[in-house]
This record gives sequence, structure tokens and C-alpha cells, in this order.
Amino acid sequence: MKGLAPLFLGIFGTFAFSWVGLTVIPNWQIGHLNPQSDEDGTDIYPMPQSGMVQWGARVYAANGCIYCHSEQVRAEYAGADIDRKWGDRRSAPRDYIFERPVLLGKMRMGQDLANIGARAPAEQESPSPGGGGNPAGSPSGAAQSPSPSAAQPKAQGAQSPGATAAPQQQPAASPATSPAASPTSPASKPAPIARAGTGIASPSPGVAAAAAGAASPGAPPLAGPPWPEQTAGLPPMYSAAWHHVHLYSPRSINFDSNMPSYRFLYQARRISDVHSSDALRLTGSDAPPEGWEIIPTYDAKCLVAYMMALNQSHPLKEVKSAGSASAVSPAASPSAAPGGQPPPK
Amino acid sequence: MNPAGIPLKEPSVSAAAGDTEQLERALIDASTRVPVLIFYTSAVAWLILGTLLAGFVSFKLHTPDLLSDISFLTWGRVRPAHMNVMVYGWASMAGMGTAIWLMARLCRTVLRYPLLLVAGAGFWNLGVFLGVGGILLGDSTGYQWLEFPSYAAIILFVAYALVASWAVLMFRFRRGEQIYISQWYLLGAFLWFPWLYAAGQLMLFVVPVQGVLQAAVGWWYANNLLFLWFGAIGLGTAYYMIPKVIGRPVYSYHLAAIGFWSYALFSSWTGMQRLVDGPFPAWMVTTSIAATILTLIPVATVGLNHHMTMQGYFPLMRYSPTLRFTVFGAMSYTVFSLVGILISLRSVARYVNFTEASIAYSHLGLYAFFTMVIFGSMYYIVPRLIGREWRYGSLIKLHFWASAYGIGLMTLMLLAGGFLQGASMENPSLAFSESVESVLPYLRGRSLAGILLTVSHFIFAYHFGLMLFGLGRKSTVPTFLNPVEAEGAEAHI
Repeated sequence: MKGLAPLFLGIFGTFAFSWVGLTVIPNWQIGHLNPQSDEDGTDIYPMPQSGMVQWGARVYAANGCIYCHSEQVRAEYAGADIDRKWGDRRSAPRDYIFERPVLLGKMRMGQDLANIGARAPAEQESPSPGGGGNPAGSPSGAAQSPSPSAAQPKAQGAQSPGATAAPQQQPAASPATSPAASPTSPASKPAPIARAGTGIASPSPGVAAAAAGAASPGAPPLAGPPWPEQTAGLPPMYSAAWHHVHLYSPRSINFDSNMPSYRFLYQARRISDVHSSDALRLTGSDAPPEGWEIIPTYDAKCLVAYMMALNQSHPLKEVKSAGSASAVSPAASPSAAPGGQPPPK
Repeated sequence: MNPAGIPLKEPSVSAAAGDTEQLERALIDASTRVPVLIFYTSAVAWLILGTLLAGFVSFKLHTPDLLSDISFLTWGRVRPAHMNVMVYGWASMAGMGTAIWLMARLCRTVLRYPLLLVAGAGFWNLGVFLGVGGILLGDSTGYQWLEFPSYAAIILFVAYALVASWAVLMFRFRRGEQIYISQWYLLGAFLWFPWLYAAGQLMLFVVPVQGVLQAAVGWWYANNLLFLWFGAIGLGTAYYMIPKVIGRPVYSYHLAAIGFWSYALFSSWTGMQRLVDGPFPAWMVTTSIAATILTLIPVATVGLNHHMTMQGYFPLMRYSPTLRFTVFGAMSYTVFSLVGILISLRSVARYVNFTEASIAYSHLGLYAFFTMVIFGSMYYIVPRLIGREWRYGSLIKLHFWASAYGIGLMTLMLLAGGFLQGASMENPSLAFSESVESVLPYLRGRSLAGILLTVSHFIFAYHFGLMLFGLGRKSTVPTFLNPVEAEGAEAHI
């Protein structure tokens, strides 16, 4: 090749083409989105976040949570995210307009966290991003009461031998057996099959909910909640106190977890006169020695505030929400388990 | 021999002009000694640090409680520290060292303004040091490949401006009208990088774009860094080393031109395929997938060109360390691109998008392709700077095989593990934890591969250290991997 001019022009031209095409034009297309609101100008979503939440995002970024956790829900046709109940609609650009840094993530060695705040018990759920009419409020029920997990092994143990022997018995009992079984077929014909399936396919009561969906040929393969069961003696799942225990000692909650613990975000302190209200409720080997307590640092509090604010459950006009809110709610709704009521359709 | 009349073997050696040419080249090599060795030595030091961090990251991933109570050793900080040490400390510095030497040789002029380069290397080291320290102390920005906090990024940019302005100045002093293929790539790399880095920094930190576009800019940056910075230096180096070692011109100039321009055009448009099915307009992702598939054109032309150049000369890989590393790297470029195309197809990406397979892809590009080519060039260049030959052929051989088996095993483990992990993750009837458990055995295998790579890097660093302290062999014959029989000896290896 002779002459520098064509080389220089080519080098600049090709790169300018890519720069304009992949950053400037998208910026012109989706770089200036506003929050949506209804006709009265209320019910605004998303809302700007508090300072603690923003600092929490910095803590999240600084400690590399992004290398194992994504914060995006893919559409139904593009993956199993919605089936896994990581959200009830796909994420859209508008969900992220106030986030900085945007921590979409590229790896899932851990759960997707796009809606981790929406799973919190109702009284703790962050009000700001959810706004009104939050369809994902219901899974909180599971977390609120420790009963479903305690009740389930019992029901399972009682039910499965009978179910295996006589699969035609009492279809009405099936919701009690597997609260997570398909919401589309409550007490209808596939139920006995599903029940027989659970009896055989789930040796461990802990995973019964997940196996119920898988083993029933009549129903769409719906798993139970992908997250672990409520452990007795711990704070309600996905509450702020639970997050603190989980960050401090992940394997006390989920034995198989390969998440590192983040003890350096916590400090041990001698109890002066009264217990701090922030002190972690730790049990077993994690518990501090007598007279001491473990309390979160400001960074840990911000990190948990950030996670509690991760909530994309508010509907967006440009995105179709997954048909029914029931896709999320009945699986964990406590009313289905003891009462045997069919979930709301 | 060379129908296009282009000095494909550069500088051309003819029997008559042999002596002056030799002398001239020796002078040029001597003028590059200090700056290039500064870059190389820093790079090797970063390589060792990065390797130690890598082993730590790999073990911690399946043994999460290992030293997790110390804030600056938590997995989420060591991982980006490892990545940035390798990208900006090792790969960039070694790449710049090779590029500087190639520029001086290909411009056929002694190196001018060495102080620019020495200052550049100093600032670059300072930038990487501050950046990695910042990440470990909790200042990471959270954008992949751009984790360095802004105080480090500014220093890196200053350092880079010094090096790039040197490269442009060198072009003004070049002798001869022809611009060899390697120089296209090197000039491209030197001009693309500052624009890329400035665009990334400005659009993410100075005047940040809104929302998800930050992720788009981040991946556009990361992919272009891989292709237009590392890829360009790697291909430029391979275009020099392969013909040089076997003493034969590049097979086709026209193929090379097609390869270069299609590379510049298509690979710069990739990046968004990493965000497949994310919250983006579909056209962005689809454009990048199309561009990724179109990179088949540069891959095929470059691969064909190298293959035809090597045709009949493959047995030389038995002897020449440079040739063996470079050809391995050039072949890996093809594999890297094919894997990249495979995992960007929507139907496949659905399964592997959030898995270890993308780590395999990055390692194929940065290690199997780029690092191996750079190793090859260092085996060629360092003896010419120091005036000594590599001391032990056996150590070079060991280095090669440990690296080759290490990266091969690592890629296989991460790809297989990634596909399994993805298959479990996309099956909602399996608990999520099963997808993690299914990949854990492969991560242990990856740690094993990491041990191999650690061995290979320590061997290389030891050998490089011997050279640096003047403990190489005094000889006019280069160090061969195997004893050369009479018929192979005439090639200038």
C-alpha cells in the first residue's frame, strides 16, 4: 500500500462508522427516556433513588457482585428467566434510567437480582420503584410466615406413600401436597398424576416444590421458587435482616452456595448495655461470643438498601407482562398450602 | 518471487546488500534496546502478578471461604484486579513493546525520541499500579474492562498519548514508500486505541450516557479493545514473524488487504452480541451478531494467507521457538473467531450467555491468540536487543507445552462447563443451584489448567530474567527447540 492518506482515512473511517453506529445512534434512540406515568401524572415509574441506594450500588460494583449476578430479565421466548420467577416481565431500557452504574451483568454463578427487592416481605418492600399496583407483592407471603417450609415436608411425608399406592385418590388434596404445582390446573384432572409424580420423584422434601412441576406430564413445567426454602430460626427471606445474615454467612442459609462471605462489611462490637437493633441474628458457629454482637457497617446497610430497591415489578407500557400475576403469586402464596384453595386465576 | 513488487519480506535481504542491511538492522535493534526492554520487563512482572491473582480467583470460585474475610482479597475484587493486570499490565505493555520494535524495523530508521517511550512506560506502569490498587481497595467502577478508577485512567491516557505520538512521529522518519502489512495493523492499533479509550471514558464517566447505554458502551469498548487493540497488534506481529522466520514472502498481498479492511470494518461493529436478549433495541444486538458472522471474511483470508505462506515450511516449527508460538497463536485466532461466532448465534447464546463460556472466549482471544503470538515475538526480539541467545532450548519447549496444554484445557473446561451450566439454567424444572453445581467440576479442571499456565509463566519469567542479567548464551546461532539437522540449518530461524 502506498501513501499514508488512504490508510489514515480508512482507519478513522471504519472506526467512526462503528462509533456512530453502536453508541451515537443508540444514544439518540434510547438515551433520553423519561419515567412513565399514568394520565393523572401519578404512579410514576421509575423513580430516582435515595442516596443510600446509590452508595449501595457503588458498594455492589466495588465488591464485584456483578461478576456472578446479573440484573436483567430476558423475554419469555429468549430464556427461562420468567419461568424461574426472576421477574414477571422482561427488563426494558426504561427500568434503568436512574441507575449509575448500570450493573446488567454477564454471568450467573448466582441468581439474577433484577427483582430481588420485589421478593421482600410486604412491610419491608421498597415503595419507590414499585409504585402502586405491585403484582409481585404476593411472594412475600412465603417469606412472612415460616410455616410453608415446615408444613410441606409433613404434608409430603404423609401424602406420598398413599399417592404412590393409589394415585386416583382425592384430587382435592393436591394443592396441599405441592403448593408450587401449576397454577393453571388447580384440582383439575392432571392433579393426581402430578401428585403421583411428586411422590416418586422427590426423595428430598426440600426440593419437592421444584420436582412437582417437573414430574407432572399434564402441566407445563413450572418450578417452585428458584430460591431456597425459608430456614427455621432465620429472619424472613429477602428481608433486610435476612440479606445481612446471608452476606455474613451464605452457607448458613444455603449449604450449597458458593458465594463468598462478606464479613469485612460487618463489625463485631461488645454489647454495652442494650442489643443494637441492627445486630445480626446469627446461630450456631456463626454466632459471636457471649457479650458481643455483629452489626453491619454503613456500606453493608447501603448494599442491602440497594438490593431492596431492585424491583422491576411495576408494569411498563412498552413491555408485555407475563400474562398473569399468578405466575408468581400462587407458587408461594401461603393461602394455597394449608387451605387447599385454588389460587386466584 | 514477488509479483506485486512489494517488499513482503522486510527488509529484503539480497546477497549483495547483505552486509550493509545486516549492519543497519543491528543499529536499529540497538536503538530500541532500552525502551523495548523496559516495556517487556514491566510486562513480565505484571504477567507474574496476574498469574498469581488468576490462580487465587480460580480456587476461590470453588472454595469460597478461602481468605474471604479480608476485604482486599475478596473474590469480587481479585477477579477484576487479575483481569486488569493481564489486560493493561501484561498484554498491553508486551504488545506495545513488540509494536515499538516492529515500527522501528519496518520504518527502517533508528528509534527517535526514546524518552517519549520511557516516560510512556513509566506513566503506564504507574497507571496500572494505581488502578489495580484502587480496585483492591474498593474503588472499582463496575464496568467490565474499565474497572480502573478515573485517577488511574487519566494517567494511562497520558502514558498512551506519549507512546502513540511517538508512533506517528516515527512514521514521518520512515524510509521507503512502501508500508508493509504489519504497519497497517500497528498504525490502526495505535490510532484506534486512544479514540476507543477516550470514548469509553467520556461516555461512561465524564458525561455518562443514560441507563442501559452504559452497558452498551462498556461492551462496545471491551470487544473493540480485544479486536482493534490486541487483535490488531497480534495479527500485525504474526504477519511479520511468520514470513521473517521462514524467509519467504507473504503468500498474497491482495488477500492481506482484503483481510485488513474487512477486519477493520466488521470486527469494530461487534460487542452488542454479548448483550443478547438484554434490554436493548433488537437491531443493536442483531447488527453485532451479523458483524460477528462477517468476521469470517478476515478470518478466512488471514488464515489462508498464513497457511499458504507456511505451506511446506511447517516442519520448521520443530526448531524455531518464534515460529511455533506464532503459528499456534495464528491458528488460535481462527478458533477464537469461530467460537465467537458460535456463541453469538441467538439460539446458542440463549444457553451460554450467562455462563463460563464467555470467559473461555476472552481467554481464547487474549491468551491462546494474542499472548502466544507475543511470546513468539519476544523469543525473536529479546536476543536481538541483548546480544545473547536464549540459554535453554528445553525451557522454551517446556514453556510452550505448558502454555499450549494449559490454555487448551482451560478453554475446553470452560466451554464444556459453560454449555452444561447453560443447559441446566435454561431448564426451569431444575433448581438454579444445579446449574452452579454442574459447572463446579469444570471449574476445578480450570484450576488445574491454571497450574499449568502458572508453571509456564514462571519458566518464562526465569528465562527472561537470565537474559536480562546477561546470562544468555554467547553465540551467533539462535537457540533451537531441537537439534537442527543439516538440511534445516539454512533457514534464518
